[in-house]
Amino acid sequence: MTHAAAVFAPNAVLSRNTVRILVATQVTVVFLLWAFSPFVLLPKPGEVLNALGELWREGLGTELITSFYLNLEAIALATIVSLLLAYATVMPFFRPVVALLSKLRFLSLVGLTFFFTLMAKSGHQLKLSLLAFSVSVFFVTGMADVIEGVPKEEFDLARTLRMGEWRVVWEVIVLGQVDKAFDVLRQNAAIGWMMLTMVEGIVRSEGGVGTILLDQNHHFRLAAVFAIQLTILILGLAQDYGIGVAKNLFCPYAALTLERK
Amino acid sequence: MGGTSYSLGQTLLKIENVCLEYDGRPVLSNVSAEVRDIIVPGRVQGQVVGVLGPSGCGKTSLFRIIAGLTAPTSGRVSVNGFDRPVRAGEVGVVSQSYPLFDHRTVLGNLMLAAKQKEKDSQAAHDKVMGLLREFELEDKFSLYPAQLSGGQRQRCAIIQQILCSEHFLLMDEPFSGLDLLMLEKTCELIAKVADMDDLNTIVVVTHDVTAACSVADHLWLMGRGSDGSGNKLPGSSIVKEYNLIERDLCWQPGIITTERFTTFVREVKDEFRRL
Repeated sequence: MTHAAAVFAPNAVLSRNTVRILVATQVTVVFLLWAFSPFVLLPKPGEVLNALGELWREGLGTELITSFYLNLEAIALATIVSLLLAYATVMPFFRPVVALLSKLRFLSLVGLTFFFTLMAKSGHQLKLSLLAFSVSVFFVTGMADVIEGVPKEEFDLARTLRMGEWRVVWEVIVLGQVDKAFDVLRQNAAIGWMMLTMVEGIVRSEGGVGTILLDQNHHFRLAAVFAIQLTILILGLAQDYGIGVAKNLFCPYAALTLERK
Repeated sequence: MGGTSYSLGQTLLKIENVCLEYDGRPVLSNVSAEVRDIIVPGRVQGQVVGVLGPSGCGKTSLFRIIAGLTAPTSGRVSVNGFDRPVRAGEVGVVSQSYPLFDHRTVLGNLMLAAKQKEKDSQAAHDKVMGLLREFELEDKFSLYPAQLSGGQRQRCAIIQQILCSEHFLLMDEPFSGLDLLMLEKTCELIAKVADMDDLNTIVVVTHDVTAACSVADHLWLMGRGSDGSGNKLPGSSIVKEYNLIERDLCWQPGIITTERFTTFVREVKDEFRRL
């Protein structure tokens, strides 16, 4: 089968080189479509690049650091809280509480701001708690599903090896699902960036990339909006890659049974 | 009595009137049987019991009860003469998919089992490496289970369970989906594990009549019995037991090629069909 035919064959596994060529081609096509788009409102690559330079001179770098730090803090907090809550579902007492928390992902952050404002002592704390909450409700849902899906066979194996029930939890739920916890973290760390602009829009103290984005959007400076989005995308991709590298480092067994490695 | 001189010692595994119901539906009904230590002068001789029965007759349910993983509705299974029900971990279990912890290497999986009984890490490590050599897996210790072949995974799962259990090993359908060569190797492996210690007892749950007859010293035939008018009784039990030692049909290389073995297999199959 030729390379060209292989990329359209169902379940085809491609060589690394072919994948690289495929990605490069598709990125180039998207870039060309963007560059030569007849849609007049869409800012051109050159305009976006100029806007990015201007934003950088005005302090986008500092705002990015503020946002990155806030997001990192929120993801760390959300990860700890969500993992503890999800692991707690091994005890029937905590299952209804976690199920209820999971349902809160349908709520809008705007409606919860007042409640969080009463509890927070500073603007940073308010942003952090709003962001950690919004990531946690998704994280805990994903992780509780992972735990719910552990096959009976794995519990049986641990029990036949004379493990007590807490040791079974440690071996099967905690250690045995680390690779899947990384996957859930990867998804929810991305949600953090998505929520960040909303949170920084609700609480404007400390600034942040979300505040600038909302300001530029408000004044309809589309080139600047694109520049900020592009910067967030690059940061997000780097974060995603970093989590992927950590997963491969700590869980080298995770990819062994996959068809598409 | 057959050609090999033997006697029976202490009761190693006892199943007493075990009943099991799911949602009021009887699955097992008054299952009773026992395995006794087979003593053959001058050699180490373990016990191998084949549990035969048609699909859906409750073999796996009985398997889980013997393993201490499921509590029976009534009745009891005990091992080693203990006056209490068997506990999970006392009987090793190797199920059809040869489960291992995928997040641990072969060595990690085996050390986990060895350290449950041997607290000294070096002694546990030595025991594990010895068994890996014995089962020709010494060069696989650093691999993850996903990197093992089916046969290697089976051997690794067996080592893990014998490291931890009290001489008992339950095997669920170990012959399922094997080609002729692998089937012979599995039978040799079962005999090898059984004969590692006088008290080693292997219970093989299967529906492969020929393979079970070739590896076992006793056979338990499971199924639903009939009342006087020929109606099937609810719930399965052990309807027939065969002693292959008495029939001089075990511990002999090449026995499966003999006419009397073939006749015996036919007899068991005929009984099997009536279940």
